[in-house]
Amino acid sequence: MQRQSNAVRIRLPALFADRIDGTSTVEVTATTVADALRALTDRHAELTPLVWTGDSALNPLMILFLNNRQLVRSGLDETVHPGDQLEIIPAIEGG
Amino acid sequence: MLPSNVRILPNGAAGDPQTVFYHRCTIDLARGAVDIRDLPCRNLEEVLGGFGRSFQYLAARDVADAFATENPMVVNTGLLTGSNVMTGLRTYFSAYSPLKVSNTGLPAAMWSAGSGKFGTKLKWAGLDELILENKADHPVIIVIRESDTGPQVELRPADHLLGKYCHEKILTLYAEYPDAHFAAIGPAGEHYNACYYAAIALSTENLLKTGDDKCRWAGRGGMGAVLGSKNVIGIVAEATDRIAKLSPETRALNKEIATGPGSRKFREKTRGGLGGTWANYEPLEQFHMVPQNNFRPTGDGKPALMFRDALEDDFVIKAESCYRCGINCHKNIYERKADGSKGAFRAKFDYEPLNLLSTNAGVHDPDEVWPLVALIDHLGMDSISCGTTINYVLDYNARHPDAPVFNGATFGDADKIRELIEQVGTGQLPDLGQGSKRLSEQLGETAYAMHCKGLELPAYVPDTNPGYPWAIAGGHMSMATYMLVAMEGNTSLDYWVQAITERGLLVVRDDLLGVCKFAGLNAEVAARCLGDEIGLHVTRAELLAAVRRAFIRALWLERKQGYTRDDYTMPAQVFDNPNPAIKAEPFVTREFFAALSDRVWEVFDREIASLPPVEDEATG
Repeated sequence: MQRQSNAVRIRLPALFADRIDGTSTVEVTATTVADALRALTDRHAELTPLVWTGDSALNPLMILFLNNRQLVRSGLDETVHPGDQLEIIPAIEGG
Repeated sequence: MLPSNVRILPNGAAGDPQTVFYHRCTIDLARGAVDIRDLPCRNLEEVLGGFGRSFQYLAARDVADAFATENPMVVNTGLLTGSNVMTGLRTYFSAYSPLKVSNTGLPAAMWSAGSGKFGTKLKWAGLDELILENKADHPVIIVIRESDTGPQVELRPADHLLGKYCHEKILTLYAEYPDAHFAAIGPAGEHYNACYYAAIALSTENLLKTGDDKCRWAGRGGMGAVLGSKNVIGIVAEATDRIAKLSPETRALNKEIATGPGSRKFREKTRGGLGGTWANYEPLEQFHMVPQNNFRPTGDGKPALMFRDALEDDFVIKAESCYRCGINCHKNIYERKADGSKGAFRAKFDYEPLNLLSTNAGVHDPDEVWPLVALIDHLGMDSISCGTTINYVLDYNARHPDAPVFNGATFGDADKIRELIEQVGTGQLPDLGQGSKRLSEQLGETAYAMHCKGLELPAYVPDTNPGYPWAIAGGHMSMATYMLVAMEGNTSLDYWVQAITERGLLVVRDDLLGVCKFAGLNAEVAARCLGDEIGLHVTRAELLAAVRRAFIRALWLERKQGYTRDDYTMPAQVFDNPNPAIKAEPFVTREFFAALSDRVWEVFDREIASLPPVEDEATG
């Protein structure tokens, strides 16, 4: 994928990527973490139930990392900058 | 390029599997005869390996008894086993299972996967696949060694290993074969007739270096019992390490595996991870979905006693790894000495063995739990099947205080649970060793026996997962629907049909490829790394189609062994006595499940009917 200027890069684990034809990185323009996630689900509606609850709160089983730093749930309001890297990870996995 | 034995002819491609050859050794254990040959693949599933190949071999057999000589055991690898791809360490053991049976009593085909370094050494010794036919007339080990003329294979007496714990067997063999890695059964496998859930231990470098019981396991489905029934106590794969130069593509991929989002769940918190499968406790407890007292969460908060943070003061917890793996998913606990330093190794605390032998058994003191986890490993049993079967017994005895079975153990009786483990793992309790399906039928109380198709459930409550019955080789490892209710909360019929028939089954992809699920590869990356590392160029769509065919063929094979729709059901307690403590809508009613079953079979029946026929193997 071509890198956009002013883009925040969202890296997705397989649970997400496998629902959108293997796309594991999505670049969005956003000013906060919440904006970035909304941009992700606007572009890939299939991911909406993984990211958001029915009342538009962050899915309680998703954990966010911004530039490798784990965010607390209020971190949705954190400001993001071009070049930042956001990850969204399920809290439950086995194997 | 990797040092793989799989040979792709010039211009060979996925479209023509006949241009891909693999190296198989067949041993007739009764005669001691060894046959080694190259075989062309018949389809992409065979090229990829694992159960994609072994189940086609098993499909050609008529087997009515898992311990009969006509039940072959296939020990094989995936295309990426022994490659430079991080976690490419898997070995697969496939056979008709003593544990997974249809209601007709016929055994079903099963595979079980494990990491460690054995599979890598097997490949480096020159084999992709080892098939064990018939039965040796005395206990043997199989020794496979590389040589200038190809792999050398011989049988040797194993009397000196009998009775030893798994890791003791491996350490004894290590003294004899210092360049080797090992697969071994424990006392449970030696007493296969009385312990159907015997497992196979695989050596790790950590085990060989420290002497601690740090095996990895091919645990599910009683593959250790099948190996024991053949009088094979262990397998030695000896070869010098062949570490090929990393290509830039594989280097980048490995960096992604070790530091990317796919493995973050399994990495240490100090390395930006979430702390491993053990860390499932906290999020599941939010929903009261941590199994308690035989899969019946109460909402009393006791699961918190096993949260990792609660144990940090009393134990040193160290993340360790398989060969060349940067994920460090093994969460090993050690004694914490008075000065705070690390003392003796105690046990591994992965989520499944931990939960099934603690919270789900009503035992909440970690000092009582770790000896149970360690003992199951020492004796060589599957902690899921052994734990879940014992949990059934605890439940039965709690319901029948005036007429308990076995030693009368009930929830929280750690000493009596330990006694049951010791006795079943040494062949003294055949009724317990036959697993929860048969035991519950014998006791006449099947509703709360937590199994599907004879395979005990892992540590995720069935009330939230109507996908369990379609799992082929273990409830969460071959049907990835176990966490969806907590994750997405969708209980509609359409959602569940799709979850099972479109997404859940694809979790078995890594059981062909030879990589660990904890690598978290998505299908696009997996397809790309087959090209980068092996030179096998397949598209994501071709890869997924092959995985799907392998899964559908496995369903067909269940049908061949007498499975009917009645076999694909849930423990009746889920339908008839929903648990109000679970914070999720109790949606798995009989009506819902019947409708789900209709819709799922509509999809799968159509695909079973249109499975492409598989030609007989080439014999030349």
